[in-house]
Amino acid sequence: MPATDQAARTGSDLVARLAGFARALREAGLVVGTGDLLTYGEATALLNPTDLVDLYWAGRTTLVTRRDQLPVYDEVFRQYYLDQPAPPGEPEPWSVKQRSDATATLQLPDPERGPEGTPDDEQEARMGLMASTAGTMRHRAFGDCSPAELAAIRQLMRRMRLVPPRRRSRRQRHSRRGTTPDMRRIVRRTMRHHGDPTELAWTRRKPRTRRLILILDVSGSMADYSRALLQFAHGTLRSSRKVEVFCFGTRLTRITHQLEKRRPDEALRAAGERVVDWEGGTRIGESIDTFVKVWGRRGISRGAIVVICSDGLERGAAETLDAAMQKLARLSHRIVWLNPHKGDQGDTWVPSSLGMMVAAPYVDEMLPGHDLASLEELAAVLPRLR
Amino acid sequence: MSTGVGELTDQLEAVGYLADRGLATAAYVALTLGRPLLLEGEVGVGKTEVAKALTTVLDRRLIRLQCYEGIDVHQALYEWDYARQMLQIRALGDEELHASETVPSLYGPEFLLERPLLAAVRAGSSAVLLIDEVDRADDEFEAFLLELLSDFQVSIPEIGTVRAESPPLVVLTSNRTRELHDALKRRCLYHWVGYPEAERELQIVLTRAPGIAAELGRKVVAAVNRLRDLDLAKPPGVAETIDWVRTIDVLGSNDLDAGIAADTLGAVIKDRDDLDIVVPALERVVAGH
Repeated sequence: MPATDQAARTGSDLVARLAGFARALREAGLVVGTGDLLTYGEATALLNPTDLVDLYWAGRTTLVTRRDQLPVYDEVFRQYYLDQPAPPGEPEPWSVKQRSDATATLQLPDPERGPEGTPDDEQEARMGLMASTAGTMRHRAFGDCSPAELAAIRQLMRRMRLVPPRRRSRRQRHSRRGTTPDMRRIVRRTMRHHGDPTELAWTRRKPRTRRLILILDVSGSMADYSRALLQFAHGTLRSSRKVEVFCFGTRLTRITHQLEKRRPDEALRAAGERVVDWEGGTRIGESIDTFVKVWGRRGISRGAIVVICSDGLERGAAETLDAAMQKLARLSHRIVWLNPHKGDQGDTWVPSSLGMMVAAPYVDEMLPGHDLASLEELAAVLPRLR
Repeated sequence: MSTGVGELTDQLEAVGYLADRGLATAAYVALTLGRPLLLEGEVGVGKTEVAKALTTVLDRRLIRLQCYEGIDVHQALYEWDYARQMLQIRALGDEELHASETVPSLYGPEFLLERPLLAAVRAGSSAVLLIDEVDRADDEFEAFLLELLSDFQVSIPEIGTVRAESPPLVVLTSNRTRELHDALKRRCLYHWVGYPEAERELQIVLTRAPGIAAELGRKVVAAVNRLRDLDLAKPPGVAETIDWVRTIDVLGSNDLDAGIAADTLGAVIKDRDDLDIVVPALERVVAGH
């Protein structure tokens, strides 16, 4: 039956073509499983695979799961099916691009294990260093540390966790004493006593951990401090999903997703490439304004603890920062500001930079965050910020 | 275009919903493959309306579950009618109280309160299940939904397993106040509902607010599009466009100028900071230059 053969061959050609497209998407950084490919195939079969628009929408509904993946999908689709490169001025692909000049400025010796893997004995040597110098290390500013010391500090930090405070949620749970009767239990108990309600049961509202949002300044001198904090965030992110991490220099970017997969150093470096324009200095006001508009308004910071790590050296307009901080304060539960310069000057510190003076009225807690001891202080303060 | 998609587009249009190619394709595929459809998009672009329109087109029953923080199985799936159970126990005579069938009878179907998800499983393919604003529910509920959406069966310990012979069409909507779990998204077909193009938006306005002068509609749609280009915290959605047109119509006006726009701005701009941006630019927003 030549006709059937022909059909089968065209069919398998098509499947190979679809699979190739899925592979191209994977290479561009999208997660496409075999199941997704299967659904894609089914959807295409339902539609008209010779119609390019059908082909486009079949893939878009089945292979894309987030809005920010759409530009990547469009780009890969254009290249794969139309064999055309992106015209200039297209939105950036989802995966992070390398920019060598930016890397150079942010580059610190990588205190983590490199991708090629460091031998175990070196790891042990670090652990030894950590044990002997843990005491002195605690009060050493991150900016003054040597790479080896940073590595040791990092080992110490792995054991620390940020625990955000908890709030009462709408979810009920059984409790010995409470405010609302637990009818389910009362009826069960009543049946045990032939219909006489002898004992009441109660529910109370279950506590829930507040979300923690880190907004980190990664420009120039702040990179060391933000990096340390990021290590914190990384550990916390592993244990709960309640952390969101943003980086800014002149622009703001969300790195929560990257952080879930990568090691913190890599994520921070990638973020640095995207957000830092070395000529432009730090634009805290605009970055916080972006956060409020794009993320805060959607509710991500509602009831959350926002931790901002920056030295407050603002290049933008003070009014922008003031307006942005005011909105942020209204949209979030508490704001903590970590300023490493506070640590340098000790207890006599007063906010001196213009940015800091503008932001100070909206900040609930001002901490140094320049060394390990002060990060421990942060970890201790957080659960109390009810 | 595949004929199925074209037909669905026409049917939706006949009931007053103008779907673009992408949305119609997503709905058609969801319907044919029996997969849930997840709609994300800005506020007021007609996500919920999709489910309602599909219900009418398919001549099914709409079962709606509005999500909120703390929603749990008893509010979404089923609950026992405790008050009736208590009354029943009190009404029983002494022998009845000791009879072995008493307790099972207290957990019979007449004491079971059906909530939207159980109703949808029972109704099967004769229903459209709308799970609205799923991003407002918490993680625990999302995990529970994941289980339900994968095999459409519910086990109630006292009664047994209820299974849908053929699954209902499920439409989930999210305003992205938080990111949904990837596992849930992978169960669903995903469609991002954006703002419609000006021409389509005008059609939508004229369909939704019949009796409006086309010229007024055109001006309002153009003004709303200019508003969306401003840097606003809450850009107006299609629902706001329709509201605005209706408001102006109620005031007996057939034209949009800066004066009327200023009087009726509350229908489109609902944020004080946004007002500060829009009011000085109103002349330009209305006139376009």
